Amino acid sequence: MLSSMKSSRSILKFCNASQLRQFSINSVLRTSSNTTSTTETSPQTSPSEAIQPQKKSMSKAMKAYLERAKEHDEFMKQQQQEFQIGKRHLANMMGEDPETFTQKDIDNAIEYLFPSGLYEKRARPLMRPPEEVFPQRKAAEFDEAGRPHHFLFYTGKPNFYKLLFDINEKIIELNRFEDAMTRKNLQPDPNLALDLSGYQWLEKDLLEKQMVEMLNEKDYEAFIAAMERLISLPYSYRLKDFILMYKKPLMSQTKTFEIPKLQYDEDGRAYITTYECLRKRARGHVTLRSPGTGLVTINGQDLNYFKDTQPREQLLFPLLFTGMLNKVDVEAHVEGGGTSGQAGAIRWGIAWGLRSFVDVDMLEKMRLAGLLTRDYRTPERKKPGQEKARKKFTWKKR
Amino acid sequence: MAAIKTLLNKYQVLATKTPLFSAFIQRNGMSQYPSYYIKPIYKKETQEEMYKSGEVQKMTHIPTRAALNDQTCSVFHDELLTLFVNYVMKDGLKVLTRELVEKSLENIKRIQLEKYHKAKTEEEKQNIELNPKVIFHKAVENCKPLLQLTPVKRGGVTYQVPVPVTDKRSQFMSMKWLIEAGREKERTVKFPEKLAYELIDAANNTGRVIKKKHELHKLCEANRAYAHYRWS
Amino acid sequence: MLKMRSTDLIIRRVFSSLTSLRLQPFSTQPAIQERLETFRTTENSPLNHTEDHIGQFYRIPPETKKQLFLYGGLAKSYEIQTKTFTETCFMVRKPAVDIIYCMKTIDYSKPAIRFVMYGKKGNGKTLSLAHILHYALESKFLIVHVPWVGNWMRRCKESSNSEVKEGFIDLNIDAAAWLIHFKNQNAHLLGDPELKVAEDHVWNKRETTPKDAPLTELVEFGINRIKYASRCVVALAEEIKKLSKAGKCKTFVAVDGFNALFYPQTNILTEKKQVVHPSKVTLTEAFLNLTKFDWNNGVAVVIVDEIAIGEKDQISHLPRYLLGKEGFEHMDPFVPILVSEYTPKELKSCMDYYRERKWVQPLPGQDEELTFLSASNPYRLMLLCNPL
Repeated sequence: MLSSMKSSRSILKFCNASQLRQFSINSVLRTSSNTTSTTETSPQTSPSEAIQPQKKSMSKAMKAYLERAKEHDEFMKQQQQEFQIGKRHLANMMGEDPETFTQKDIDNAIEYLFPSGLYEKRARPLMRPPEEVFPQRKAAEFDEAGRPHHFLFYTGKPNFYKLLFDINEKIIELNRFEDAMTRKNLQPDPNLALDLSGYQWLEKDLLEKQMVEMLNEKDYEAFIAAMERLISLPYSYRLKDFILMYKKPLMSQTKTFEIPKLQYDEDGRAYITTYECLRKRARGHVTLRSPGTGLVTINGQDLNYFKDTQPREQLLFPLLFTGMLNKVDVEAHVEGGGTSGQAGAIRWGIAWGLRSFVDVDMLEKMRLAGLLTRDYRTPERKKPGQEKARKKFTWKKR
Repeated sequence: MAAIKTLLNKYQVLATKTPLFSAFIQRNGMSQYPSYYIKPIYKKETQEEMYKSGEVQKMTHIPTRAALNDQTCSVFHDELLTLFVNYVMKDGLKVLTRELVEKSLENIKRIQLEKYHKAKTEEEKQNIELNPKVIFHKAVENCKPLLQLTPVKRGGVTYQVPVPVTDKRSQFMSMKWLIEAGREKERTVKFPEKLAYELIDAANNTGRVIKKKHELHKLCEANRAYAHYRWS
Repeated sequence: MLKMRSTDLIIRRVFSSLTSLRLQPFSTQPAIQERLETFRTTENSPLNHTEDHIGQFYRIPPETKKQLFLYGGLAKSYEIQTKTFTETCFMVRKPAVDIIYCMKTIDYSKPAIRFVMYGKKGNGKTLSLAHILHYALESKFLIVHVPWVGNWMRRCKESSNSEVKEGFIDLNIDAAAWLIHFKNQNAHLLGDPELKVAEDHVWNKRETTPKDAPLTELVEFGINRIKYASRCVVALAEEIKKLSKAGKCKTFVAVDGFNALFYPQTNILTEKKQVVHPSKVTLTEAFLNLTKFDWNNGVAVVIVDEIAIGEKDQISHLPRYLLGKEGFEHMDPFVPILVSEYTPKELKSCMDYYRERKWVQPLPGQDEELTFLSASNPYRLMLLCNPL
């Protein structure tokens, strides 16, 4: 069968039910199908297939499948039409041009018209093209005789295992290439070596979407292990495109900060105020003034506001790290929370404010030291059926 | 227990196969941070070393967790000591625990200074260690066991099998024994005092905790015959 | 009112002399010879301590320490410290130097001046007083030193109803202990035959201390007959004042925790379990007497401390709040002396001393961190240095 020769992925991505219909029904029943505009013409139909003379009997499973496929297809078409009409209506409502109404405009419009206070962003109203909203279905995995197209169909996760198979093939190929090179006494070019420090592995859910299959944690880990193995080979740069398909780029962390500019007060001293210094339940704001003598004021009192040493050490940390101990004055107002929380809030406020007084290298060092990360940790919620967040009730055998 | 151990072994196997694995994808278990956040490097010396060796390149694109409440870049901060304070702590009373541990360090200093002032010759004086943190580190180091016994069930009988112990586990055991020894005392004696004596003894390779370690080693030696059950 | 004006003049004169002292340039030549290291000085006699010695430690010989502080006067933590360091060293600080200078230069024929030392918790008031006590000992003052009034008001050993006065409470064991302390401190002076009792003291039908008996006899009587110890103390206070007025001896009165004599909540209870106000305790009368200004040839230095009163009322460290209305009126006019935190020089000197005594391990950048963490408070600094 032709399909077994092609890669499974091409069937996946570019084939939907109508495609299938074209492929199998067209060849058998010779009905003209309404292909929707979004799909390409099927590459699988070949002239020989199209001129099959007999009508082969279909299995019941196949019939049922085709029924379902047809319904789904119609459903998707209808949804697509509704989406287009809705998009135009929305554009008219917002007073925009319907022709140049992008997805981003749609999102903004929906947020404006249906403001939602729900904490879970995915639960809020949204309007997306139906392909994004409704889950992808796999095309026919077996032909009318009931014979599967994919050679790994009986594993249950053919696409995934095919991927692992591919990785393995590539490893073997790279090893062979490396052997060939060694025989010629050639070394791998160090300049071409893969630098993957700016990338992160594709997450499990995204991989699942790509495969259109549900994966276990173990499967995902096996996949990662195999890819790591591939990358560790010396000639892995030859497969850069393949590898990058499964990698997500990370932004450089320090470049994502926007450092505020210094403001000047009446005496001509530069100052920076960080509002919303939060840690657990403590809330406050911190003002740094320069040039200063290392004076620290918290809620009007000096450092004696904190009776224990640990909070004081926390305030010392950012100032000592950047070397600005006796060069800035700190004025902090904090309320709520406990000693530790308040100290943490002020520490973050001081570090965040010191960004404006410090150069780029020190900024990176502060980030590595963990001074600039907002500590979002909060107590875990209590679950029903358990005593506390993790503690369970006493296990009784009977 | 055995299931957990096999799991741990499995992860270790995975980690050893691919060295970059463990650095980047940390098993964060109970942490509220996403798994790719790395632990912060808050000491200036460690950071300088990383810059020299060039390992910093890997970290530029990875977000870091926030530094904890008891971590500072101060000269007086000691990681092992903060860990020790956490082990001594009960019911989350960090302030009290820290005071207790600090008092015990103070007591160590007083005991050592007494010895120092009593010592007649310069040589003796030089041999006496006056830094309480050095004594603490030495004590923990000296009490680390090399083997421990695990129960392994074969054929209905649970054998105590001697098994090599990882560095972290041995450090934990050493500190736990020291704390337990500090708590075994009369009612009138204070915990910091007792702990000070235990630490000094352990640093000199004498005392209860060292005895406990030797006893464990002896037991392991005695159960040498069952060692093959580890793999059977 | 005349008296008030004269004390006013004295205070103004004292202040002017103090300010003139500050304006004088540093006299460096003799001082340099005395300094061994930057934090220690060989000048062990407080008679010669001047502003140049501020921030430096000087050693007290063990005999003097025993004489002055055997029965109290130094904090427990400090005692343990002296034992570990095998020596007793005080730091020369500005408030002490100021008072010593005053004591050298005031006119003793005028009514007694009262100094009130105040400051935040742990700034070094008690130790400054100890330094001044040493000076008083060297200058042959008759020392009347109450180590800590809180011991009487809040931790009294035993209380009993007074026989002589209605509604008053005697703290006899504490009084007797104090008499022992007094005797110990002034052992060298009490041998002087000039110190005589000015009038008869009748204790009961059979026992009296006759006129012209030596002062020691009064003191011994109080120690032996604990039942009359409180009355003895009151009598002693009177006698000392008379002797000073007569010019037989100079007196130095030092009270630590003076504000406890005015704080209404004591831990002393009557038989009916009612709280006793300090004014109903016989001992308070003695020391209130001694801190008045109706006698001359004497100096009173008093410390008001937050720790002397209950924790719920520890809001401010300032004298007006701590003394209350009565106390302030009693003490007014006085010379307030602020004992502040360590200056950077003093802190460095303290750290150098600790390092020299091998108490603190030397590490780079220690001093700045400790300045910040302790907020320059001496007590805090000591606590921070303990585990280092």
